[in-house]
Amino acid sequence: MSIPKLEFPPFHLPADAEALRVEVRAFLKETLPTVRTEDRFSSWNTRSADFSKALGRRGWIGITWPKQYGGSERSFLDRYVVTEELLGNGAPAGAHWVADRQSGPLLLRFGSEEQRQAILPRITAGECFFSIGMSEPDSGSDLASVRTRAEPVPGGFRVNGTKVWTSGAHNNHYCITLVRTSGQHGDRHKGLSQLLVDLKTPGITIRPIINLAGRHDWNEVTFSDCFIPESALIGNEGDGWLQVTSELAFERSGPERFMQNFHVLRELVRVLGRQPAKRASAVLGRVVARLWTLRQMSVAVAGMMQGGKSPAIEAALVKDLGTIYQQDLPEIARVLAESDATTEEDMADFLDVAQYATMMAPSYTIQGGTTQVLRGIVARGLGLR
Amino acid sequence: MDHDTREMLIDTAGRFFAERCGKDIVNGVEKGVWPAEFWNEIEEMGLPLVAVPEDKGGVGGNLADMMAVLRLAGANAVPVPLAETALANLLISAAGGTPSPGPATVALGGLAFSNGRVSGKVDRVPFASVAGRFVTVAPSSGKAVVAVIVKANAKVTEMPSHAGEPYGTVVFDNAACEVSAASAVSADRALELAALARAMQMAGAADKVLATTVEYSKQRVQFGRSISTFQAIQHMLAELASCVAATIASAEAASRDADEGGLADGGSFSIAAAKTQASDFAQRIAAISHQSMGAMGFTHEHILHHYTRRLWVWRRDFGSESFWGEKIGAAVAKAGPQALWPSLTSSKYAA
Repeated sequence: MSIPKLEFPPFHLPADAEALRVEVRAFLKETLPTVRTEDRFSSWNTRSADFSKALGRRGWIGITWPKQYGGSERSFLDRYVVTEELLGNGAPAGAHWVADRQSGPLLLRFGSEEQRQAILPRITAGECFFSIGMSEPDSGSDLASVRTRAEPVPGGFRVNGTKVWTSGAHNNHYCITLVRTSGQHGDRHKGLSQLLVDLKTPGITIRPIINLAGRHDWNEVTFSDCFIPESALIGNEGDGWLQVTSELAFERSGPERFMQNFHVLRELVRVLGRQPAKRASAVLGRVVARLWTLRQMSVAVAGMMQGGKSPAIEAALVKDLGTIYQQDLPEIARVLAESDATTEEDMADFLDVAQYATMMAPSYTIQGGTTQVLRGIVARGLGLR
Repeated sequence: MDHDTREMLIDTAGRFFAERCGKDIVNGVEKGVWPAEFWNEIEEMGLPLVAVPEDKGGVGGNLADMMAVLRLAGANAVPVPLAETALANLLISAAGGTPSPGPATVALGGLAFSNGRVSGKVDRVPFASVAGRFVTVAPSSGKAVVAVIVKANAKVTEMPSHAGEPYGTVVFDNAACEVSAASAVSADRALELAALARAMQMAGAADKVLATTVEYSKQRVQFGRSISTFQAIQHMLAELASCVAATIASAEAASRDADEGGLADGGSFSIAAAKTQASDFAQRIAAISHQSMGAMGFTHEHILHHYTRRLWVWRRDFGSESFWGEKIGAAVAKAGPQALWPSLTSSKYAA
């Protein structure tokens, strides 16, 4: 009896990555006190252009990229450490997050030399921010059904269509946009391409989509006879699906899939006081053990990636477990604080934090691949489909 | 033991368990039949002496080697005290002693040692009625002592576990020790090592549950097709795979940390977290596998219960998720909110 193995061999971050951690912590200790407390509660969802610029000056954005594009040529594991330290300390890293995580790597791998030279050094300086143009009103989990069309015209493309859930489009500089450049709507994976779209291009309208918590992160981005120059095509015409899949692997494997609401856990520790009741300690410890395990698995995935493997199934599995954990956390914490917070005042403060976290929680298992999409990927990994 | 020797040991042990530890042996133990020949073969392979140095008659492996063997034992529901004897032998040899042959077990917690004698009662001692020797680590005037008590000096009341293994309550009434010596590890540490052993067995059992369930779902045809082709089943099995992967990953990380950090206190935090996680995931793993396998998996005839019942029992052995969770939670709370993140990244209790 044999089934494909999904193993996460224990992996040690190397000494130079741990040395970098010390540097990053010292930097954050100096920088973060000036950041508003409420902004530290949402880390990679909170933007601060100043913070991104300061981080860029340290060489910690695009840290793995070649020096000729402003990178530091450090390892993927160094990047992992920077990322998790930003999350663990509640740094407002939202402005550059997408550019560092997926847009830059995508350009590095598939972009033209001209695109790389024009864009990558600005990303690493913490001055150029990206949105993801994948989802549409009629294309969510079924991404291959996108309808936004880029019709070849002399010198470029004429783009028509609508993208939705486009985080930060109202603040960002570029949006890597998945469009149909050839064939028909029903052609699925064929005929799709990605365009490097300057969000200031005439013909683009950006309208806010407010989420249930009252936040304006998302936008609807409409293209009406919008001219995009040929030089904005990323990679080859028709390779969009391949490129977008590789981009999604970066999007799924990171520690932000279980560290997004870490502040809830840290706040819970604060309000429970230094000597909680036995039962409360046990609940707290079980949550901490769960997070510790997720981190072990995520570090193992980083180790596989550094070793040149493509652990797409393992990454999907960690995102599934991690986002469910994140969804459970505010509930476990809320119930525990109701009974075990040390003071009424602490409890009231904490319940506000937990309430906000509860409102944000539904998004965790939707963004970057729903639970059901991820389980489909894991099922394929088990040889079931 | 070098890498190749270790790989060979794991490979040999895995094949041996798969071939020899059949349904008859596991069901036999539940009916009270001691598989003497099977145990002898285990001893001939040196498995209870994996982590005992060669100059003490052992195989000369390290703690991680022993844990790797125990994961395989878990994956084959090996119904004899291999984990307990291997740990007992490790404790004895680390204290300078030379282990004796035969099945042994560990009786941890609640015992007092004074003037060369042991007193006290320990509940739920695994394999209490088949062990020839009981090994404990007990505090004695500020230090820890390893003591070996032969069966004749212990009073055992058999209380089989819900997995059908011969657990029992053991009482020592000023019992004479066959051997006693200053221990290399504390009593608390002995419990940690036992918890790690169980977490690794649980990782093995969880892995087997996944393999069994996936295989079954591919073969079982309903409505004219394999049930594995139904999306509802696929999503259940994907969740099962996640729970199993997490159980294995945490146990393996703890095993590595314990081994690298040294016998006295390596991987203390990781072990607590791993046993908490293994115990926490056990129910979900059992529930999904049984739901996927329907009535077939609920029969005594099928082997699934060899693993799910063990997972349920092992949750409590050597500290449940409540016990270890409380230990972690109390330490985290004591250290305060700012120490939480550094503690997680270093896999250590805050100083």
